[in-house]
Amino acid sequence: MGRLRKVAVLAFSLLVAFAGQASAQDLRIGAIFPLSGANADYGDLYMGATELAVSHLNDAKVLGGKLSIAYEDSQALPQQGVIAMNKLVNVEKVAYVLSAFTGVSKAISTTAARSHTVAVNGGGVGPDLAELGEYFWNVIPLANFEVRAMAPYLVQKRGLKRFVLVYVDDPLGQSIKRELESSLAPLGGALAEALSVPSNAQQFSGIAARVRDAKPDVVYIASFGAQQSQIVKQLRDNGVTQQLASYSGFAIPAIASLPEAKGALFTTQRIDWNSGDPVTKRFTREYQTRTNRAPTAYAANYYNAVLLFGALASALQKAGLPVTGENLLAKRREIGTFDLVGGRVTFEKDGTIRSAMQINEVDGEPAVVEIVATP
Amino acid sequence: MLLLQLIINGIQVGALYGLTAVGFSLIFGATKIFHFAHGASFAISAYIFYYLYAVLLVWWPISILASCFVVVAFGVALDRYVYGPIQSTDGSFFTIFVGSFGVAVVVQNLIGTVFGRGFISVPSALSKSVELAPGLYVAPAAGIAVVTAVACFVGLQLFLGRTNIGIALRALSESSALVRTFGLNPKAISTCAFALGSLLVVPAAVLTSMTSGLNAAIGGRVMLISVAATIVGGVGSLRGAACAGLLLGIAENLALWRFDPQWSEAVMFLILFAFIVLRPSGFFGRVATS
Repeated sequence: MGRLRKVAVLAFSLLVAFAGQASAQDLRIGAIFPLSGANADYGDLYMGATELAVSHLNDAKVLGGKLSIAYEDSQALPQQGVIAMNKLVNVEKVAYVLSAFTGVSKAISTTAARSHTVAVNGGGVGPDLAELGEYFWNVIPLANFEVRAMAPYLVQKRGLKRFVLVYVDDPLGQSIKRELESSLAPLGGALAEALSVPSNAQQFSGIAARVRDAKPDVVYIASFGAQQSQIVKQLRDNGVTQQLASYSGFAIPAIASLPEAKGALFTTQRIDWNSGDPVTKRFTREYQTRTNRAPTAYAANYYNAVLLFGALASALQKAGLPVTGENLLAKRREIGTFDLVGGRVTFEKDGTIRSAMQINEVDGEPAVVEIVATP
Repeated sequence: MLLLQLIINGIQVGALYGLTAVGFSLIFGATKIFHFAHGASFAISAYIFYYLYAVLLVWWPISILASCFVVVAFGVALDRYVYGPIQSTDGSFFTIFVGSFGVAVVVQNLIGTVFGRGFISVPSALSKSVELAPGLYVAPAAGIAVVTAVACFVGLQLFLGRTNIGIALRALSESSALVRTFGLNPKAISTCAFALGSLLVVPAAVLTSMTSGLNAAIGGRVMLISVAATIVGGVGSLRGAACAGLLLGIAENLALWRFDPQWSEAVMFLILFAFIVLRPSGFFGRVATS
């Protein structure tokens, strides 16, 4: 009986050791997305892309084991984002976290730097995101590039010189205001009025009156989520007929389907969805099939962020190195250039990417009206 | 012209604030229940109308009636199955508040799950402004909001002053013991308060779905305004709540005349703060005596 017990213990120990070895090869990354609240549309959009990337990496057996994502809900709020980041770093022990929204990204960046966890942003565009340390990367061109693409187009090609900015009072909105203030004057344009709105504001009929009173040629909207749709609708309902313009926040289905947004212009990074490169082609085809939506720059960015992790982790595994934040950073610096959706991408020293931009017009689905070369 | 435009905008917004605030004030005054889920009633009403009218293309009077029915059923069900059981176990004011808060959170998430968490609006010509004078834009919805608010308020005053159930409601707000003395059932009257208070959010919810649009979290702001208007107007005073709702709407818009839009909401809370400090009983509230 005693011998039988020893054999059983030995067998159980071997089983546990074997199971531990098997699961040690599985990889888990984190994602802090708005999954509830007024900006949950974005989280839904991002998840469609990240899940597609995970299934592509797992199908291709690029990594030693299975890749999975631990999702946490930020509600697009910095405080919730920090709670989520602490959980991912201290409980889930992930080395790579996907982040979204400027405020949330800035809030989690200190934890990322302290714990040597790589945080990758594919949705926030505040220019400050380029200054959050070596463990914070951006796979999306930041808003300064978006404004620098849009402003010359509107002033020089469309002859729209007098701007009114309606912006949400957060790091993103403030950075777009700074960028417009500095870039319009040299072009011969002017920022006639900048109207900041709280992030929870829902009534904009009074703002529309102020916008009309300023007699602009173009109204630039720097908000996001449900609020930007409310701004567009209420501006149009209340007699604002001027050209509307915005940044990549407009690249969501809610804006594409809003009748009042028709004709609005917005910038995104340049992605040719009809490109022949295999990564873009596969993403475009399968994203549409899987989510029943047209691909967007946001979806491509988060797909790219997961693909980037796959490339780095695979290279580390081949080199016999553990997948840690430090090693991921070193490997990214070593490789430098990656084939992602939209083409070949090279990281700058500050962990950002530069890309050509495109100006899109909302017309049911966005149509490209102008391509601006990489700055 | 900007000033006149802001006043007109303020009257439209204030009329809707007034309607929601009166509903909350009626319930709070009569039952002493802090009905935090009043905002959820607003959201339910708006989304039901949106779904029937804009998605299923049901004729608008039927859509509004269905919205009324659902929101009244929601209010009554809360009174019977959430607040009633808590009260029967001597639940404190705070326990009921937490229960109501929980219901509001559940409703918000349910709406988000069913209808999505993004922005939706009911397309309607009523929300499109027309230029009445150079630089002065008014939407038909503004006129409808004011007329509806006045009609609802006058109808409510007549109901409370001239019907037995209305008088019983007023009596309940004075003393539930007194109501029992007269052989009336306070619970049944409380249910009427919830039905009527919930019904009053429907016009504001329907008009908001057309003018401002909706998102799943809209109930929170509605609740905030309702509480502010109830305090400014005087707790228990329907006339006060209506006037305070109007005042807050106008003040919020007039603030835009000289200040940044950031201050618009702050002005509302400054008014609230001023009333709490200088006139705690509100516009028409009675001064409490010990």
